[in-house]
Amino acid sequence: MPKMTYQLTRRGFLKLGLASGAALSFMTVTLGVTSLVNNQTASGFSYLRSQDIAMLNALLPVIYTATVTNNSAEQTTQISASLIAIDYNLAHLSPSMRKLTLQLFDLITNPVTRGPLTGIWGAWSTASPETIQHFLNRWEASRWTLLNQGQAAILQLARLAYYSQPQSWQLCGYPGPPNLG
Amino acid sequence: MAIKDVFLEGVKAGWKVHNASLFTKDQRLEADVVIVGSGAGGATSAEILAAAGLKVLVIEEGPLRTSSDFKMQEATAYAELYQEGMARMSKDGGISIMQGRAVGGSTLINWTSSFRTPAETLKHWADQHEVSGLSEETLKPWFERIEKRLGIEPWPIAANANNEVIKKACQALGYDWAVIPRNVRDCLSLGFCGMGCPANAKQSMLVTCLPASLQKGSQLIYLARAERLTFKQGKVAELECLALDARGVETTGKRITLKAKHYILAGGAINTPAILLRSQAPDPYKLCGKRTFLHPVNFSAAQFAEQVNPFYGAPQSIYSDHFQWQAGAAGAMGYKLEVPPLHPAFAATILGGKGEQNAQRMAKLPNTHMMLALMRDGFHPASASGKVELRSDGSPVLDYQMTDFTWQAMRRAYLSMAEIQFAAGAEKVFPVHNQADYMTSLAETRRVIDGLDLAIHRARLGSAHVMGGCAMSNNPKLGVTNSRGVHHQIENLSIHDGSLFPTSVGANPQLSIYALAALFADQLASGFEA
Repeated sequence: MPKMTYQLTRRGFLKLGLASGAALSFMTVTLGVTSLVNNQTASGFSYLRSQDIAMLNALLPVIYTATVTNNSAEQTTQISASLIAIDYNLAHLSPSMRKLTLQLFDLITNPVTRGPLTGIWGAWSTASPETIQHFLNRWEASRWTLLNQGQAAILQLARLAYYSQPQSWQLCGYPGPPNLG
Repeated sequence: MAIKDVFLEGVKAGWKVHNASLFTKDQRLEADVVIVGSGAGGATSAEILAAAGLKVLVIEEGPLRTSSDFKMQEATAYAELYQEGMARMSKDGGISIMQGRAVGGSTLINWTSSFRTPAETLKHWADQHEVSGLSEETLKPWFERIEKRLGIEPWPIAANANNEVIKKACQALGYDWAVIPRNVRDCLSLGFCGMGCPANAKQSMLVTCLPASLQKGSQLIYLARAERLTFKQGKVAELECLALDARGVETTGKRITLKAKHYILAGGAINTPAILLRSQAPDPYKLCGKRTFLHPVNFSAAQFAEQVNPFYGAPQSIYSDHFQWQAGAAGAMGYKLEVPPLHPAFAATILGGKGEQNAQRMAKLPNTHMMLALMRDGFHPASASGKVELRSDGSPVLDYQMTDFTWQAMRRAYLSMAEIQFAAGAEKVFPVHNQADYMTSLAETRRVIDGLDLAIHRARLGSAHVMGGCAMSNNPKLGVTNSRGVHHQIENLSIHDGSLFPTSVGANPQLSIYALAALFADQLASGFEA
């Protein structure tokens, strides 16, 4: 069934986008999607849901390329710390910005919208780093400002989370704040 | 080294400071003057009105964080001390907007640059916006008073390497430059002003005007959002506030109703017009929230052979106004050149780039210099401008639209910044834009800048100065308030914050806000008895 459904959805999606122009918000786009979403937060998190975590587990190592180590245990620790930091930041966003962010996550995790929007047609956990990088590049280069905005938001969340943690500081030569005793 | 937590000691000594997140029932309070916002405008007003013997109540949406909480960590500072957890941005996401939200407002997290309102700006307001009584001469004693109060003076210590670049290059190129006046006392030059000063050296409202006001018996309620004003017979009857949870994010369901003889809105541009919009305040000429300005900023990064360590030292100490007034106040858009401090998370979001590219840029952080150009928006009819709107939940968002006129100034600014960075000895310069990367010669950089597709989400833009939206003018068709900050349609309502400015200021706005708030509060206090 999938292919036909995807195409129809995609056409409907683009129509929606064209109708409301560049200022279209994620909210409009996801009106039809949110009812299908699992809103149960994952254990140990305040806002991230299991599908967000699966997506971020695949996405973050690509965004952090050349910063995360090849040591898989260390990498898991770094990604886990970033997930906790992202959840903390979500908890401090205004309700509107948090809603927009979670709707963005819905768009790229929901099987109906994920394929046409990101080019990742299978589960996030099976997506190759190349496909994921392609998705980020495509959204960055898109003529559709909504996708530019989404890409910028993802990178911003990811990088704020990563570089605010002391374990990343050695990679950027930052000695950390001075000790005031 | 033990640092005295001035504010907490005051609270222990019995200041009337209340945490609204702990309220277990609705509250009803009265005062002579209710002030919304504890930042530059609100706290300055509170000190003056309390000193005049008035009963003052200040309400603040953000949390209370004091010097003992300031650990110089990006991980917590941005989430806790900035509007919308540092995620405030223009409606289309094109411009990140950094505004403070805590007891002390943006004064808690600004980089301490304290400029008098430029004479050209004041003249423009008088000539074009029918503002009176705010000449350079009238304001001079108010600037002097605030400068003395907050220890404002040109930074007497050598600039850090990040700032030194402007000085060195401008000297070589024959461009104007000068030392930035800062509001600090016994500053340790740590470089973490944007995360709350751990040494109480920054003379923010948290350690100056708020304590003075509380000492005189004023009350402060924090974690409470001013939701709406109600009106009766053309006057404000009450202010309804909602208590927020400890994070300052969700409402707790408890209400605080405040009644006063006079009300002052000082929640900052964006938030102040939002209160008026939510309240459906009289606005016969549909001015509220319109003409909001940002000093939108574009960036230029450079790499030097020697270390710059842009994360340490007084964050802003040198500036150049060489390109600010070249075409006059209302000609081609001018810009002010400054540098931002660069801590890792902040740097990573500005430097951008794809996976490995970002990592390589970040690996050179200690050798990285960053420069910014603040566009002087609002002086020309073709300037970019914003409009405050309400989202479905009543929270405000700024619809700010860039214009070709503004982009042209940004293109010129990319060139000015690259020229300055190379003149100071940079090995490579990167105009911060998705289509550009580090380049080794000025000629190549110039060619690339000339060809950049200047559009939001391509050029990385930010703002730390939100101004306008409730402009002052003697003409009710041009401004929401008169030239004394009093609302044209509502006699017992004043506005004392950056939303008063008819255009952007053309300089970091804190001292302009302090001076206007002080003058207007003084006028209010003397009129109160009468």
